[in-house]
Amino acid sequence: MRHTMKMTLAALASLALVPAAVTAHTVKAPFPGTITALTYYPSGGYHGAIDVSSGRCNYWGAETAVVGSVHWNVTINTSGVVCNGNGYENANMAVHTWADGWKFHQKHFIKTSDSYDRTCDRCQVGNEGGTGQATGPHAHLMQEKNGTKDTSWYSGYTTRGEAVDRSETLGVLD
Amino acid sequence: MTRAFLRMNVLPTLTLTVCLLAPALASARQSASSEAPALQPTTCSVEGLMDSIRRGMKSRSEAYKLYLRTLLRESAVNLPRAELQAAFEREYDPVMVEHLAAALVARTERGLEDDAFQVVAKRALEDRDPGLRAATVRAMRRTGALGRSGEMFERLVRDPSPEVRMEAATNLVEDTHYVYGGHHGPAADTAVSAAAASDDPKVTAKVLGQLMTGEISSDSARKLERLLGSDSAEVRAAASTALGGVPVAEMANARQSLTGMYRDEKDPTVRKAILQSIARLGFSGAVPELQRLRAVDPSMTSEIDSWIRVLNMNHQDWSLILREKQRQQQAR
Repeated sequence: MRHTMKMTLAALASLALVPAAVTAHTVKAPFPGTITALTYYPSGGYHGAIDVSSGRCNYWGAETAVVGSVHWNVTINTSGVVCNGNGYENANMAVHTWADGWKFHQKHFIKTSDSYDRTCDRCQVGNEGGTGQATGPHAHLMQEKNGTKDTSWYSGYTTRGEAVDRSETLGVLD
Repeated sequence: MTRAFLRMNVLPTLTLTVCLLAPALASARQSASSEAPALQPTTCSVEGLMDSIRRGMKSRSEAYKLYLRTLLRESAVNLPRAELQAAFEREYDPVMVEHLAAALVARTERGLEDDAFQVVAKRALEDRDPGLRAATVRAMRRTGALGRSGEMFERLVRDPSPEVRMEAATNLVEDTHYVYGGHHGPAADTAVSAAAASDDPKVTAKVLGQLMTGEISSDSARKLERLLGSDSAEVRAAASTALGGVPVAEMANARQSLTGMYRDEKDPTVRKAILQSIARLGFSGAVPELQRLRAVDPSMTSEIDSWIRVLNMNHQDWSLILREKQRQQQAR
């Protein structure tokens, strides 16, 4: 019986790997990698977002991180391949604006033929890169409204240094 | 937790989990005792998932049903497209049609074939059974359908079946709100066009009454103004509400149309909607206009005074103004 329960619990626990309903707006890792920064950088400075990095510049398998169909406004400020930063204002980014005015940002990717405004569920909008203010290739996932960053959506879901794959829940937006 | 419960609620889950996580459970199976549930190794297939869903839909747990819906949609990208489409086309149970249609749409939404969505759209428009058309429309809810086929919605809101028309209206409201966040002009324009194209006042009113119109085009604003002349009070009220949220460039015209209409309008519900939109368009700047309207209809004086009191508080955010107005209404 002990084994039965153990197995039942193991199976139920494994359900956590199945993405939640689209209405929950779960955020998953955009590619397999490591969490390199959360609310604070390792140096102690404020960050207020999640950084995920695979360390592979121009990695093609990057996806938008929000589960469920949403419209992405894609802004391209850098056309070339940039891996280690080229100034804050040059970041490429995809932004979804929620009905209440909060915005979810995914930044720093490298422009590809998929980098255009689109409505989709975890689709590609560019390759992993370091456009904008960056010291290496990564994805910056941030929720903000008028400059105020929300850090609660990922609190308790992930930690710095955690290895993540696409099925890993990094946070929940609503 | 009884064994009956385990059999009814957990075992199908275990089977489905095996479908996704065969290696993990294979090792767990080796360590299971003879009392362990008899897991059947299986490969992930359309038929297997459909059987599980058919069984699972008899469950009393809404959470479990939601899980099954999500599972099929999430598995869609790994299932053979041809098999999935064939299952969809030969299925006549509305519940299963909805699941399979959602799985096909998910393939398009996840960046696979664009035409998987078209197969679903075709059935939503052409199936002879209104129940199946409605189910297919529900399957496209909260997806990018609005951006892919605005023309489809103009046809759906004129469907002979009221059920289909209302499902299409719900899609328009929820898609613009949840997928586009209410901040996407072309999506809102599509919704206005579809609402204006419908002959069903309930459909038009449902869409316009809940639509965020902050990014609509001039063309859509004119359509809303024309709808102020509708024979249906429901439509006039909804169009008035929609005009209250138009972009800055359209505000002057909207305010003029609403003020002009207020004088001739007889329906108190419509008049209340007009007053709310005048307040929304002008904030505290609307107070002189509202004061002039006090003389038009004495039965609306208390409503106007209530708006004037709230606007004079000089709140700078519409949600705060509206909340204060509701608070005063409840306090009365």
